[in-house]
Amino acid sequence: MNRADRAAVWFALPSLFLVALFSIYPICDSVRLSFYRMILMLPWLGEKFVGLENYADLVIDPVALVSLGVTLLFVGVSAALEVSIGAGMALLLNESFRGRGFVRAAVLVPWAIPTVVSSQMWRYIFNDRYGLFNFLLFGRDTSRYLAPLAEPWLARAAIIFADMWKTSSFAALIILAGLQTIPDELYEAAEVDGASAWQKLRRITLPLVKPALLLALLFRTIDAFKIFDLVFVMTQGGPADATNVLQFYGYKKVFAEGMIGYGSAISVGVFLISLALALLYIKLIGARVLEPGAAR
Amino acid sequence: MKKFLLPLAVAAVGVYSLLPFLWFVLASWKSPAQLTAIPPVVVPDFHWGFYRSAIVNYGLLGYIKNSAIVAAATTIVSIAIGALAAYALTRFHAAWLRWYLLVLLCVSMFPQIAVAGPVWRILDALGWLNRYPGIIVAYISFSLPLAIWILSTFFKELPYEIEEAALVDGCTRAQALRRIVLPLAAPGIFTAAILVFIYAWNEFFFALIILTSPPLQTLPVGIALFPGEYTIPWGELAAASTIATLPLIALTLLFQRRIVRGLSAGAAKG
Amino acid sequence: MKPWPALLLLPLLFSSVHAADIRFVTWRDTQGFLDRLIAEFEAQNPDLKILRDVGPHSSTEFHDLLAQKFKNRDRAMDVFFMDVIWPAEFASAGWALPLDRFFPRDAQKQFLPAAIRANTYGGAIYGVPLFIDAGLLYYRKDLLQKYHFPAPRTWPELVEQAKTIVAGEKDAGLTGFSGQFKQYEGLVCDMMEYILSNNGALWDEARLSGALRSAAAEEAVRFVRDRIIGEISHRGVLAYQEPESLALFSEGRAVFHRNWPYAWAEANDGSKSKIAGRVGMTPLPAFSGGASAAALGGWQLGISRYSRQPELAWRFVEFMTRAETQKRVALWTGRGMAREAVYRDAEVLEKYPQFRTQLEISTRAVPRPSTPVYVPLSNIMQRYFSAAISARDSDIDRLARHADREMDRVLDLLRPRAAR
Repeated sequence: MNRADRAAVWFALPSLFLVALFSIYPICDSVRLSFYRMILMLPWLGEKFVGLENYADLVIDPVALVSLGVTLLFVGVSAALEVSIGAGMALLLNESFRGRGFVRAAVLVPWAIPTVVSSQMWRYIFNDRYGLFNFLLFGRDTSRYLAPLAEPWLARAAIIFADMWKTSSFAALIILAGLQTIPDELYEAAEVDGASAWQKLRRITLPLVKPALLLALLFRTIDAFKIFDLVFVMTQGGPADATNVLQFYGYKKVFAEGMIGYGSAISVGVFLISLALALLYIKLIGARVLEPGAAR
Repeated sequence: MKKFLLPLAVAAVGVYSLLPFLWFVLASWKSPAQLTAIPPVVVPDFHWGFYRSAIVNYGLLGYIKNSAIVAAATTIVSIAIGALAAYALTRFHAAWLRWYLLVLLCVSMFPQIAVAGPVWRILDALGWLNRYPGIIVAYISFSLPLAIWILSTFFKELPYEIEEAALVDGCTRAQALRRIVLPLAAPGIFTAAILVFIYAWNEFFFALIILTSPPLQTLPVGIALFPGEYTIPWGELAAASTIATLPLIALTLLFQRRIVRGLSAGAAKG
Repeated sequence: MKPWPALLLLPLLFSSVHAADIRFVTWRDTQGFLDRLIAEFEAQNPDLKILRDVGPHSSTEFHDLLAQKFKNRDRAMDVFFMDVIWPAEFASAGWALPLDRFFPRDAQKQFLPAAIRANTYGGAIYGVPLFIDAGLLYYRKDLLQKYHFPAPRTWPELVEQAKTIVAGEKDAGLTGFSGQFKQYEGLVCDMMEYILSNNGALWDEARLSGALRSAAAEEAVRFVRDRIIGEISHRGVLAYQEPESLALFSEGRAVFHRNWPYAWAEANDGSKSKIAGRVGMTPLPAFSGGASAAALGGWQLGISRYSRQPELAWRFVEFMTRAETQKRVALWTGRGMAREAVYRDAEVLEKYPQFRTQLEISTRAVPRPSTPVYVPLSNIMQRYFSAAISARDSDIDRLARHADREMDRVLDLLRPRAAR
């Protein structure tokens, strides 16, 4: 077993090294900073160790609490919608039909567009006067046009939709690959046994695609916490903080306001919440995923 | 019933995925006066000025070239390193491997803005700021968690018997990986490759702070430079996004054929 | 034929072996003047080469880029552009070099006073102004003429005029006013123009506390919520930055429009605007008893404290901001410059007659609070303003009280230890 262990190390070493250098070390540094008070533009205040004070301030910060609520809303709704729609698209793309290749490429277009472009595109589409959104709903009757980015709940819906549009492709792709690994024979055998389409879905597809579904859900949830570009371009967190997600708030604290310690605490907060959710998923849906080793 | 549902579903998926983008593509052909017309106009004037402007005035092709280089290099190396790690995670039993996957997951959960400073300093110390290796190595590190997770999930689903047989026959682990696992896990590999490529193609924040010299800037940064102080060149943006998305569509069309159906049917029976 | 292209040959005569590189952090120049100026500078200074680091034009994103470089003590940075709200912050953080030895008081006098004030911190000057922006009111000349209205001098007058015109025109698509009310930095600019013109203030500099709770300030905010947005604008303005608000005006859908000087050229551009030639420009109105207050915007050049060659960097800054250069940039681009003389130059006025009005307005422009903690203050104010004006039944007094408290907490950080 020793030889195998050593081999394992060699295989994992390159990735371990890069991840340790570029992710683990910076993250540890960030966590360290969250225990300090450090304000870039007031260097005379120095870098003072304040223990958990940043966190204490964070849990009573009304803006952060509202942010948390907004973020959890986004994450919950986004992830659920994205994976559902992604699963639907994957099931469709799993069928053979003419032009399937093109539909697959079409499905990937939203994911392939850089967010710096798609966020401007959505800002253009959701504009209250010349946007496609109003045009589709009300045609040329401008008197009935809505202002999606100016009303709190519409703005939230707009951002969720824009995010969902882009990322359901990601989910679709992962779930599709999962569907593709299910051998045909299982379906053929089931048909011979007289199973209906619904039964095939429930008994064969769903259980075997669970790992892919979990993977999609996991990564979509994690990514949903990191929503940033869309908020930055479309609403800047407004109107009145209605779309001020934690990540955006943290960014403003670190970069714009130079409050490094507090901003780092927000990042750690985001991390802890994502972690909690991820662990919850894994426990509920599939502990298997974390287990190494095949030998089945 | 199915015959009717299928085209409907295909149409729905097509419209959902493409309509917003097509609207933007349409905008790229509108004349400046039509871009913000109230109410919007549907049929453009077929004005090609924005494409010319995006390429000549905004240097779009240079940005695409840089993105292509960075994304391709990132993908190849990331998948290679990731496959090695995924193989280790799914074929060996060392205790620490269990934790590695969790660590990777945790690492990907941490907001990127928080790690910007140290990463910048590391690359500065290496002298890799404003150079391809710098951004590529950063992207590889950030995309590894995703790549390894996807590859592990797929490697794990593969039946072990063939490998076992090969190992018994004297094959080394590395050979087993190359000759048996990789071909069988092709769908997973190409999925991971597409997603890593697109990640590297779209990444903005680190590109912004690491690549500040115009000849090296990638597409997302280039496009973020389109807006003026108070003006947004919708036409050029639309033209740029059309041009920039085409290579990705082509790439996808090319690769989606590799995600082959009916995998390992014969292999499983062995 | 212009002489400068021939000068480009000069570097071939002098070998560039001793060339020093000056690194200039800038945004992308969409109007082409930076390329020309840099080429000229390099021709006149063959021992120097300008290397550009380019970031987005958006103030917030450009700030991120600079903050990143400064935070990490990037030594490969000499000259950089600064938005008018950053000098105090950059000075305090130790990022910008004090420029007094290069840029003494009598040289400063040639620039618009408000711009110089914005660049001064703790008695020293940290930036040389290049461009100046000041908020002003645009209006539909043709419509006002039709109803025999003079340009409004007070805000209530503007509202009444807008209502009369919109009712009279019977055009469902026409609205009274277009401005920038999204929750972003521009909101502070727009709102301060109302508050200050009502003799209110954003903060009390001497006492280091917020001043949003005063009757004057709250009245102004209430006016915006109930009358500007409530009566004469679409709800959509709550999501507008400059591009969207200008588009509405250029499409002929708004009678009045608040924006920066750049909008003049855009609104009169026949290829993009439906109202070219029908646009008027005037100082912003005030409330009765108050004076018109235009928010000050603009860009200045600073030198990094971490630069290894400040003298060389200054050569470039001096070139970019000297009278001759500023005049030429004004002629090329039509942008408002920081030197007063440019606005009185006959050649410039011939090409851009609106500079007369612009000078009048820019001279009286008011900078935003000049303090190292401006950005946190701005975020608090943005939050407050957005909450106050976007809900029809917002409790402005309570929101103002809360905002003031938050601002006080931030400003407390500036108090010397003994006083705390």
